Amino acid sequence: MNEENFYQFSTMTVLALLVFFYGGTYLLTLLIKKKKENTDAFMVSNHQIGFGLGAASMTATWIWAASFYGAATSGYTYGISGPLHYGLWGALMILFIYPFGRRFRKLAPNAHTLGELIHARHGSSSQLILASSNILGSIISLMVNFTASGALVSVLSPLSFQAGVVIAGVGVLGYTLWSGFRASVLTDFAQLMAMMAVAILIIPAVLFALGGPNTLLDGMSLLTPEQANLFSMDAILNQGAPFFVAVLAYAIGNQTISQRLFAVREDHIKPTFITATIGYGAIVIGLGMIGLMALMTGMEPIGGDMNNLIPQMVSMYLSPVFIGLFFILVIGSLSSTADSDLSAMSAIVMADVYGKNIAKNKPDPTKMLFIGRLTMIVATIIGVILASFSMDILIMLVFVGALWGAIVFPVIASCFWDRVTNTAFTSAVIAGLVMFCVARFELIPMVTVTAGLFELLAAVGGGVVLGLMAFGFCGRRVGVIFGVISAIVLAYFSVGFLRDYTVLLASLMAYGVSIIVCVGISLLNSSKFDFSQIDQKVINYDPAQPATQG
Amino acid sequence: MQTFILALYVLIWPLISLAVLAIIGVATVKDIRMARRDKRELV
Repeated sequence: MNEENFYQFSTMTVLALLVFFYGGTYLLTLLIKKKKENTDAFMVSNHQIGFGLGAASMTATWIWAASFYGAATSGYTYGISGPLHYGLWGALMILFIYPFGRRFRKLAPNAHTLGELIHARHGSSSQLILASSNILGSIISLMVNFTASGALVSVLSPLSFQAGVVIAGVGVLGYTLWSGFRASVLTDFAQLMAMMAVAILIIPAVLFALGGPNTLLDGMSLLTPEQANLFSMDAILNQGAPFFVAVLAYAIGNQTISQRLFAVREDHIKPTFITATIGYGAIVIGLGMIGLMALMTGMEPIGGDMNNLIPQMVSMYLSPVFIGLFFILVIGSLSSTADSDLSAMSAIVMADVYGKNIAKNKPDPTKMLFIGRLTMIVATIIGVILASFSMDILIMLVFVGALWGAIVFPVIASCFWDRVTNTAFTSAVIAGLVMFCVARFELIPMVTVTAGLFELLAAVGGGVVLGLMAFGFCGRRVGVIFGVISAIVLAYFSVGFLRDYTVLLASLMAYGVSIIVCVGISLLNSSKFDFSQIDQKVINYDPAQPATQG
Repeated sequence: MQTFILALYVLIWPLISLAVLAIIGVATVKDIRMARRDKRELV
């Protein structure tokens, strides 16, 4: 990378910006700091988070540093429709989760993690599959966010990559450690306000610095026919569809999302998630437009690295003040996600590991709080080490995504269908994961009958995704009918075609195989589960309850 | 006309962000007032 092409802050300026950001965030958390924190509030606040804070926190958590770079890359690669195929599907997944979230809350109003609900429904093995996938996913997310900080600091200042990583790690841990999730939610609000304000300023600033809308019209001639097409099949099949399938899995499987579902006031879940959907979409698609503008002006990313697109555009066309604002935008986005990951991991270890499996639902609140904070410290150290040494563990993210994909149907079915068993849950997840790996890494040659069979399984997976969406909003009957029709239509188009899109094929396979195994084994079971047991088993841990609305 | 559509396509997103920013800001002020009125913690 040629760093001379980027604007350079002095060491003092960049340190001042970081101290301003992390110092201000830490001071903000002092407003809510208590000498003795409540264990339940440390994990999910008081289950009474309002609409404003809830929507802000949900949006800030869903936006991470990779959102900007990914959307810009998509805009640069796929043209007009690129930013939409990155931001729109990610946004819709926030919307998609809320009908199921309301069911989770109804079944387990005192839950801290989705794993607790699954533990009450099935027992430890299913719960620990969910918990371990979440811990792995959050560690990877921490590493990616700290890496983004290191890269940004090293590109825009004389400071080293490692300095950027360590500052972000210490900064995020510093303001999250004492109050946990409460601090995360409060600071998410401030961070989102800053991120939105900066995005609102930067997008038009870049457009007009380029020469205004007329420059875009001139730039249309630089686009290929596919890039100029709003309905580009290339963009749909290579960016939109795989992302749509992957993000669906992230929405259901990720504790950072379910933690907020359990924290927001129950009657505010719907407006909170609708607002977060719109907010996420607008910011991410908007920043993706910077990648599109780069394409339309014929700019080449330095060193061919797409992650340089936004910093390069900002450095080339905007004043140092805007570059400073961009710096805060990226630091804010990565910090809000990193603090959510720390809160999520601490809640999982506190509730799923210690509360349910070690203390058997009778934990010592003081010890539990200590375990939560210790988890945050250990996770930060691991994240900083992995990021500092630039360890290539992103391949693990493929497995986490596959695991979450295989988990989606069993989790949802377990909350609505009383015949799903622990065996059905775990078998479905394992089978989905194994078949994903077979397809993703082409362990069997993808030809003739095998390829056709895999495409049919993927079509079933596509039907599951669409059927679940319909089910969430329109009920069971519509969901089943829509899912079956979708699977049949997709089967018609998939056979002989989908084998060329391995990522999409494998992702859909995880869904398809898991539903077949889950439904098959569940149908063999004649006993029915009493859902009212869940509320009795999922409890608050701390006798000193936080003050809640009467 | 095409210039206008292109400009709108790029600039609509910061406008929507502005609207969401206003909604979240107003809602949070309401959250704070409600928490004070009910004598409970905000988070």
